[in-house]
Amino acid sequence: MSTATMRRQTSATQSDGAGMALHLLGATALVGVAATVWLGLFVTPPDEFMGNLVRLLYIHPPMAWVAFLAYGAASLASLLYLWPRTRAEHFDRLAGASAEVGVVFTGLTLASGSIWGRPTWGAWWAWDPLLTTTALLFVLYLGYLALRRVPGEFHVRARRSAIAALIAFVDVPIVYFSVEWWRSLHQAPTVLNPTTHKTYVHGSMAWTLLLGFVSFTLVYIWLMAHRYRLAKLQDREETEGLEVALAERRAEAGARG
Amino acid sequence: MNGYVEAGYVVVLGTLGSYGGALLLRERAARRRAGGNGTGERAGNGPGVATQVHRSGPADEGLQLRHRSFEETGTGTEP
Amino acid sequence: MLRDAALVAGKDLRIELRSRVGLNQVGPFAIAVLLLFGLALGPDRSVLAPASAGLFWVAVLLSTLLAVQRSYAIESADAARDGLRLSGLDPGGIFLGKASAVAAQLLVLEAGLTVGVALLYGAHLSGALVLVAACAAGTCGLAAVGTLYGVVASGLRTRETLLPLLFLPVVAPVLLAATKAWNEALAGTPGRAGGWLDVLAVFAVLYIAIGTVAFGPLLEDG
Repeated sequence: MSTATMRRQTSATQSDGAGMALHLLGATALVGVAATVWLGLFVTPPDEFMGNLVRLLYIHPPMAWVAFLAYGAASLASLLYLWPRTRAEHFDRLAGASAEVGVVFTGLTLASGSIWGRPTWGAWWAWDPLLTTTALLFVLYLGYLALRRVPGEFHVRARRSAIAALIAFVDVPIVYFSVEWWRSLHQAPTVLNPTTHKTYVHGSMAWTLLLGFVSFTLVYIWLMAHRYRLAKLQDREETEGLEVALAERRAEAGARG
Repeated sequence: MNGYVEAGYVVVLGTLGSYGGALLLRERAARRRAGGNGTGERAGNGPGVATQVHRSGPADEGLQLRHRSFEETGTGTEP
Repeated sequence: MLRDAALVAGKDLRIELRSRVGLNQVGPFAIAVLLLFGLALGPDRSVLAPASAGLFWVAVLLSTLLAVQRSYAIESADAARDGLRLSGLDPGGIFLGKASAVAAQLLVLEAGLTVGVALLYGAHLSGALVLVAACAAGTCGLAAVGTLYGVVASGLRTRETLLPLLFLPVVAPVLLAATKAWNEALAGTPGRAGGWLDVLAVFAVLYIAIGTVAFGPLLEDG
């Protein structure tokens, strides 16, 4: 098959520029996370209100940030895929990759929020607007990923998934404001309260939080890049499998003919 | 109190680490399989595959059935 | 486009009148849901009555799923879906037509459910205007999202499980706002429901717009 021959390369190692950049990114992310953990667990002082529990707040907000960032990225990629002038396969794969990494971070947002909430509020869950929106975001993600798994021709599947992504994306702000209003009618615990904000005003705590945001964003990008490459490999594998099978069929027909 | 903090860090780092590790393993396996198909590997990851890759037509329908499993796994982006 | 919508809506409703699936199946389903909630939350009316609004709207949400699936099931016979595509009808019109038919059926259902909730849970129906307004706006939103996701899922083998998974999270704000509006009405303070009715209206308008635009490409892909 001519296409397969065109794609044949001799290099089998990651010696290309993109691979190097990815390794560098991964290393930086790893260093950043390690530094955040070290600072968060050992260097920064306990909070005057929350005690040591504040250390979880170097992790939980970055998780939430990435969860929503990934969702935004997936939606943007979906939009770019749908827009005729920018339509390209890589946007669909990017959306899928971002969504999968995003669902992991969303789950971790809920988990870290719960773990922080249990000793703080006495319960594993509170109908905090941000947490509730995140929980719904989680389910929206899962629905989107389920839709992506349904087999079909690439562009059909991509377009279908992209539209579904945008339908859900538009919903997220509505969900957030509804829940926030819903909750404002009842006084109850929230993650973002004035005490939490005061905590980060000074010194090492603020820097650690910032480092956390940056590091986990880098982790997200690294994970997404690898997930994207995996998707590309799988798509190629599928197509090459088809080509090989087609070639076999034709050979059979030729032999018989 | 501290138990919760440790638990939180372990859960987050552990999950991200496992996911990242699993991704790398799957990527390596997929790369090996793509090499095994006799087409070798492609260095570089530009998005230029678009024009070459997908030529679906009537012949593909029967072939696609072979690639499908009962759990409706997708055409390549399954996590 | 509106003429096409009326055509499609008429067709769907006529099929319903003839087959009476909505009457025979979706209606009893909704009643069953109300009964099951009653069993789950105990015979104590002091628990059920305050929860009436929420339970009502959950029942409506679940019934919407059935109504939407039915709406697309009638297309799958005899390649009717292809007929729809090739008919030259404006896709936005098809969307509005199907959504309107679903909404009409839901409104009838809601009337029945209202009676059910009053009887079974002892809800005191007051603030009728707000109750009706919430039903109208909420139903429009539900029908729009349902019809939109319905066409996404309709060609697929896993549609029975995929549609609920896609639909329910997206309409969570409708559930929330409609329940709140109803609560205000039932509590005798219908004036406070205004904001919630606005949410329902915005949601409905937004998704009707999206549906009208997105339906065409989705129908082609099936």
